[in-house]
Formats: sequence, structure tokens, C-alpha cells
Amino acid sequence: MPLVTRNIEPRHLCRQKLPSVRNELECVTNIDLANVIRQLGSLSKNAEDIFGELFTLAETFASRVSSLGERVDRLQVKVTQLDPKEEEVSLQGINTRKAFRSSTIQDQKLFDRNSLPMPILETYSTCDTPPPLNNLTPYRDDGKEALKFYTNPSYFFDLWKEKMLQDTKDIMKEKRKHRKEKKDNPNRGNVNPRKIKTRKEEWEKMKMGQEFVESKEKLGLSGYSPALVYQNGSIGSVENMDAGSYPPPPQADTASSPSPSFSEDNLPPPPAEFSYPADNQRASVLAAPKRSSVVSPSHPPPAPPLGSPPGPKPGFASPPAPPPPPPLGIPPPPPAMGFGSPETPPPPSPPSFPPHPDFAAPPPPPPPPAADYPTLPPPPISQSAGGVPPPPPPPPPPGPPPLPFSGVDSQPAAPPPPPLSDATKPKSSLPAVSDARSDLLSAIRQGFQLRRVEEQREQEKRDVVGNDVATILSRRIAVEYSDSEDDSSEFDEDDWSD
Amino acid sequence: MAGQEDPVQREIHQDWANREYIELITSSIKKIADFLNSFDMSCRSRLATLNEKLTALERRIEYIEARVTKGETLT
Repeated sequence: MPLVTRNIEPRHLCRQKLPSVRNELECVTNIDLANVIRQLGSLSKNAEDIFGELFTLAETFASRVSSLGERVDRLQVKVTQLDPKEEEVSLQGINTRKAFRSSTIQDQKLFDRNSLPMPILETYSTCDTPPPLNNLTPYRDDGKEALKFYTNPSYFFDLWKEKMLQDTKDIMKEKRKHRKEKKDNPNRGNVNPRKIKTRKEEWEKMKMGQEFVESKEKLGLSGYSPALVYQNGSIGSVENMDAGSYPPPPQADTASSPSPSFSEDNLPPPPAEFSYPADNQRASVLAAPKRSSVVSPSHPPPAPPLGSPPGPKPGFASPPAPPPPPPLGIPPPPPAMGFGSPETPPPPSPPSFPPHPDFAAPPPPPPPPAADYPTLPPPPISQSAGGVPPPPPPPPPPGPPPLPFSGVDSQPAAPPPPPLSDATKPKSSLPAVSDARSDLLSAIRQGFQLRRVEEQREQEKRDVVGNDVATILSRRIAVEYSDSEDDSSEFDEDDWSD
Repeated sequence: MAGQEDPVQREIHQDWANREYIELITSSIKKIADFLNSFDMSCRSRLATLNEKLTALERRIEYIEARVTKGETLT
């Protein structure tokens, strides 16, 4: 809904109760004229505002033009002084000169609070302020601002930043591994040559006709954006797409092609319409382009085994062998995980299509989703509203953000207490072994503290390094597209080029 | 009866004239507001093209300066 920038204030000339006067018509006329004068006043205020903004813009341009003019004059003088015989031709001169780099300043933070025009800022100031939840901040244990749980304007940027930093770290680790392998096996030659990219695939795609090429692209593209939309900005879906794409290839091609189409069904209509997927399974998969959302195939897998598999299962004859063993194997580990961390129940709840995950590989899913759960809770909880009731009842939906925070905190907290308790028990029963145990205890305590300090240091480092989109993106792109030999030096360059 | 109508009629006529006058004023206010909006938009678009030309010029000048300087200004 577009916001009006400038309003002329008395919107209606005379819509108020008239005082009891003998001559009402005159009264109305006089009130109207008074309001017209007020309108003229607000009109002139808006006009002054408009011209002021245009004037400031024009002023900046005027200063730029004048400085440009000066530079041109200086250059003109210099060029006339140029002499061809004086030119430096020595090789050293060419190498020692600094390479030309044009200043690539990118516009950033365009839609910031500072760039909001004045009239809109005034409109904004008439709104209610959020409740003063920050008064509760000193009572929090984890040191986060209480207001962030109510409204956090930087939520999406923080999410994106985390994702980008994580990606750069992953890429660097991969490159280090590759370099290490190359160093370790210098005589092995090119064991993993890059895949020979031929045009054969493209020609085959075009074989059926140009129209059908779009279907695969649409699945891939729409897999990103609706996943974004549905998952409220959690970009973990891309990782899962990558993780999900790994299990399907080992399987049969027919299994892989139905799996994305079925996982699409998970999101839009939550109803448990098993007949619909069954029909689609028989129909050609290329007809699937209609459905727009592709959720990572790795998400549904953990959910369906937890769901009631036996119910709808008998209705499907198609996946005979693979389905039965995985559901039996999977349910024990996830429930254990579920009781450990509160985030596991939400992801199992939305997928109400037990047969579908069976197409994807069930074993890989549990580890990746465990990593992605902190980002998943908000969207799956919103989807679980219409889903089939899962066996472990989902935690109450209000406060999905507290869940990831508390979950993340409970996870590092959970492992140390058990070892601590284990350490204290033998200590009391066996005093001879107590020295070893107390050493262990002190080491654990120190390790615990060390971890905290490291985390703080990492966070500080990140804050210092550069909080804007351009630097983060440029670093990530540089790391991704650099050669494996040069990546460390390029990374340093990017650090300094700010 | 004629006496009764006259003052009322006069009042009503006067009221109509007043309303016409007020209508004229308010429609002029609307025209001014329209003009201001369109002036604002056209000014901004022209300033934006100016901005682009200026940036292009600035980059060219930077390049030329780099070509012409023989290392005098480099530290």
C-alpha cells in the first residue's frame, strides 16, 4: 500500500457540527473559507519542502561540477605541457607504476532511516512506539536485547550475513582440503578432473522442444525464491537444496525426478491429499512445472518417518522395497534428538506426506537438518497449523525466535553438564582416581570458558571487519571464484582493499 | 409570500455564489498541488540524468589523470 508523502491538512472543508447560529449558510461559508486558508498554509509548507529537497540535490551537483571543472582545467594545462620525447620508456617504469584502479564506490544503505524524507519521518513519528521491552534486558541471562524478540529490524540482514560468512568459511575449508590433497598426492595426477562440460545436455533438453526446457529451470529457480518466501528469509534452504541434490543422484533417475515434485506439495496446500500425489506420480513428471515451490528434499525425509507412516502407506504400491526399512530405522534416533532439542518437533510436523520422503535418502537428512534447525523453526511452525497432528506434539507456536536462541544455547550447555555430573560421581566413589577426575573437571571448566571467550572474540572480529553488504558479498564472491592456489592472497587483498 | 421568499431566496443565491467561489479556490489549490508533484518528478529525473553524466565524466577524468601523471603525485 503506497504511503502518501505529503498531505494537505484540513482534508474536508466543513465536516463538523455547526454551532447554533441563525444563518447557517453563512456559517458554513465562513468555516469553509477558514479551512481554505489553512489548506493554503499546508500547501505552501509542502511546496517549500519539495523545493528544499530539489535544491539540496542541485547543490551537490553544482559542487561536483565545479570540482570537475577544476580538474579538467588542470588536466588541460598538463596535457599541453606533455612532450613526446620526455616519455618514460624504461621497463622499470612500467612495472613500478601503480596499476590504475578506478574507484568502484557502490551505493549502499539506500533505504536507511537517515535517507527517509522529512514528511514521511513526521508521519512515522505519529505512530505508536513499541513497548519498552528493553527494560527487561538486564534480567536476561543470554545478554540479548529483549526488544529484539518483539521486533528486530536487522533480523534479515543478520541472517543473510551469517549465511554469507558461513559460506565463505565453507568454501575456504574446501579449498584448503583440495590444496592439501594436491600436496599430499603430487604424483597422483588429476584424479578428480573437472567434469567435461559438453553441449550434449543442452541439445537433449531442446530435443523435445524449446518449451520443455523451462520446466527444469523453473523447478530450480522457483526452488530458491518460494523457499525464501515460505521460510521467512531463512536461507538455509539453499544449503539443503545442495545437500538434497546429493542424495538423489545416487538413486534411480525416476526416483529423483518425482521427489522434487512431491516435496513441492509439502508447502502450498497442507491438506493430506494423498490421492493427488499418487496421480501425479503416475502422470508425467514434466507436467509438474505448474507447482512453484520446491522445498529441499532433505527436509521432508526426517518428518515423514516420524509421522504416521503405516496409515497412508498401504495405499501406495509404488515404492515397495526402499520405504519399509528406512522408517523403522529412522524413528528411534529422531525422537532422541527431539527430546534433546526443542527444534526437532517443528520440522517433523509440517510434512504430512510420509511416502514422499522415502524417495530421498533418509540417512543424510538427520544430520543436515540438525544443523539447520535454528533457522527453520519460524517457518515450519507457521506451516504446521494445517498439518496432520504429529506424534510428538509441537511446542506452542508463540515465540519461535526464542526457540532458536534457547535451543542454540541449550545445546552447548547440554553436553558439559552430563560430563560434569559424570566427573563428580566417580570422584565421590573412588578417591584414588579423584586426581584424574578433578584434572578432567578443571580442564573441562577451562575448555568451557575458552570456548566462550573464543566466541566473543570471533563476534568482535566480525563486527570490526565490515558490516555492509558490499564488503561481505565481495569477499564471498572473491573466495568462490578464485583459483585454489591464489585464494589466500586474494582474500588478503580484499581485506585491505577497503 | 413574496416578502418571505425574497430574503430566503437572496440567502440561497448568495450561498450558491459563495460555494462557487470556494470551489474555484479549492480547484486552484488542487492544480497547484498537481503542478508541484509533476515539477518534483521531472526535476528529479533530470537531476538523475545529470548525475549519471557527472559520474561518467568523473570516471573518465580519473582515467585520464592516471594516464597523464608521470608519478609525480604518487607517494
